Amino acid sequence: MLRFEKRDKTPVRLRLIVPVCSVLLGLLVGSVVMLFARVNPLRAYGAIVKGAFGSAYTFSETLAIAVPLILISSGLCLVYRMKFFNIGAKGQYIIGAICGSYLALFGPATMSRPLLLTLMMVLGTLGGALWAIIPALLKVYWNVNEVIATLLLNYIASYILWFFMYGTWGTRGFPLSKNFALNAQLPRILPAPSRLHIGLFFGLAAAVIVWIIIRKTRFGYETRVLGDNERAARYAGINVFKTVIIAAIISGGLAGLAGIAHTSAVLRILQLEINSDYGYTAIIAAWLAGLDPLVAVGISVLLAALEAGGYQIQIVMRVPFGIVGVIESSILFCLLAGEIVTHYRITLTRRLSTPPGSTPRIGKKCSGALDERARGAA
Amino acid sequence: MNPTFGSILIKVLAGAIQSGTILLLPTLGEVLTERSGVLNLGLEGLMLIGAFFGFLGAMKTGNPYVGLLLGMAAAAAAAAIHAFICVTLRGNQTVTGLALAIFGTGLTSFYGDRWVSQRLTTPIKPIAIPGLSQIPVVGPILFSQDLIVYAGYILVALFWFLLFKTKVGVNLRAVGENAKAADAMGVNVVGTRYFWTILGGALAGAGGAYITCCIHPYWLNGITSGKGWIAVALVVFAMWNPFNALVGAFLFGGIEAMQLQLQAGGTYINSALLSMLPYVTTFVVIIVATLIVRVRHVGTPKELGIPYAREEK
Repeated sequence: MLRFEKRDKTPVRLRLIVPVCSVLLGLLVGSVVMLFARVNPLRAYGAIVKGAFGSAYTFSETLAIAVPLILISSGLCLVYRMKFFNIGAKGQYIIGAICGSYLALFGPATMSRPLLLTLMMVLGTLGGALWAIIPALLKVYWNVNEVIATLLLNYIASYILWFFMYGTWGTRGFPLSKNFALNAQLPRILPAPSRLHIGLFFGLAAAVIVWIIIRKTRFGYETRVLGDNERAARYAGINVFKTVIIAAIISGGLAGLAGIAHTSAVLRILQLEINSDYGYTAIIAAWLAGLDPLVAVGISVLLAALEAGGYQIQIVMRVPFGIVGVIESSILFCLLAGEIVTHYRITLTRRLSTPPGSTPRIGKKCSGALDERARGAA
Repeated sequence: MNPTFGSILIKVLAGAIQSGTILLLPTLGEVLTERSGVLNLGLEGLMLIGAFFGFLGAMKTGNPYVGLLLGMAAAAAAAAIHAFICVTLRGNQTVTGLALAIFGTGLTSFYGDRWVSQRLTTPIKPIAIPGLSQIPVVGPILFSQDLIVYAGYILVALFWFLLFKTKVGVNLRAVGENAKAADAMGVNVVGTRYFWTILGGALAGAGGAYITCCIHPYWLNGITSGKGWIAVALVVFAMWNPFNALVGAFLFGGIEAMQLQLQAGGTYINSALLSMLPYVTTFVVIIVATLIVRVRHVGTPKELGIPYAREEK
């Protein structure tokens, strides 16, 4: 029979093997799902790789998708460590995009580009942070389930965007804003048609800063303690209220920044579809990275490749984009299932063996009880 | 007869019962799942799986009830994944539920792509209960519905009785309150959690399939539009009691029916704000319900979300 012993520390070997196997199994599940729809998985995966890494241009598009994922997932690494399950990055992203776009659309036209862009990014960050503070306050004051609260706030944020786009922000009855003026466009860093933009540096900086916060600061240590055991954290004198709120502000702010950066640099227009589902993809990135923001950068690029390739196979092979969700969630399932080997040492013991020193086995019927007693003695 | 205010009201309330049943089935299932100590946040995904495979089954066989059963079976199978990861492998229930929601959304939009906007010509039809449906006002609202609505009424009573008046219910609650004690008493903790998680999945699937096999007999990607998440919130509102689940679900059905009526009536309320209404209401409700649960200490299973490991002290 199997015996489970809790591990104190996960060996590095396992921390590598489990995610790699999860990705492979996730791709396998994706293949099976595709086979049922009579899609050749090898061709589809080939097209995904080509669509993501095929040329310098496609790779830069992949990186452009990775930018919001990096920004959001590094914030999520921080909040998930303290077991504050913010799944509202989607809503925070949308509110960030709305707040920043307000300046782009209605701000003073005479403002210089660096100043306007800085203000837009700040406003977007504040918007996202505000949208994250709400569930954080509800959590620390009244213990309202943050998963449900943040999720509902995602829907509410989507409809707020609707409200503006079908209202005064739309043009000629279409849910599209006017194009952002050049001053309100975050600069792209490669020649057209590439849409990779300087948000990439925001993302890398965010990942490094959050990594430092987690590893090198007292605050980061406190978030870890809080995640492991809230009661212990309280006894140790950690200000739970402050810790949760600050972490929520950081993660919401980064999601808001992702929203406005993507809107301003890649889309250059505010519309109903602003790729806010990256808020969900980033959750998978953070989890797959073992909540390490630096690892999350690499994972974000991989997931971005899957997304970019997913758009491609939808256009070229008419394979519905839903397959990306299937693959991503299957990877996550495998990773979660793999926690059993990262958290526990599993050993196979013979069920009917009698440990030395215990009463010898009398009959088959009693063996279960004896086993139980032996385990109690051990 | 000209439509009077009364006849419109009856129509709206009958619609509220239908919309409410969509929420009632997953909420009931989740009440029982959570009572056993397993948190399944993936209801949205399970409902979508139920909705799509229900629709598919109904389209292929021409029988919406067969479709409904197929939808339930598919969602139950998906819930079994959740049970396997959360119960046997002791994975993180919050994130697994989230993965399940993403999985259901992706899977159904992948397979559903070619079915988008196709209509089911043989949806589930209402069957008036002889006698009861003749009662003025109450009859047309409650007893001129379809079999699924009636099944909802019966399940509420059945599950309430089961949960609070039978040995099975005591064991189920014991597993969610204190798995170790239940185990020591000889209750099969793992089996109980598997059973109620899978059954909860089947009910979530039924809620989804009820949409596509009866109320909106066509397929659209993401047709459940967040109802699964509302159901998760309703479980807190219901304080883990099947009867309260009925009240909550029908109340929300009422909000939805009212919103549809207002939109159809061409009122000058902004449609984005109107569509936001159910989510805002749920948001307020979850806060209020949490506060009440906190003060009165009712409902929440003590070991909700905590995996059981026999060998750990």
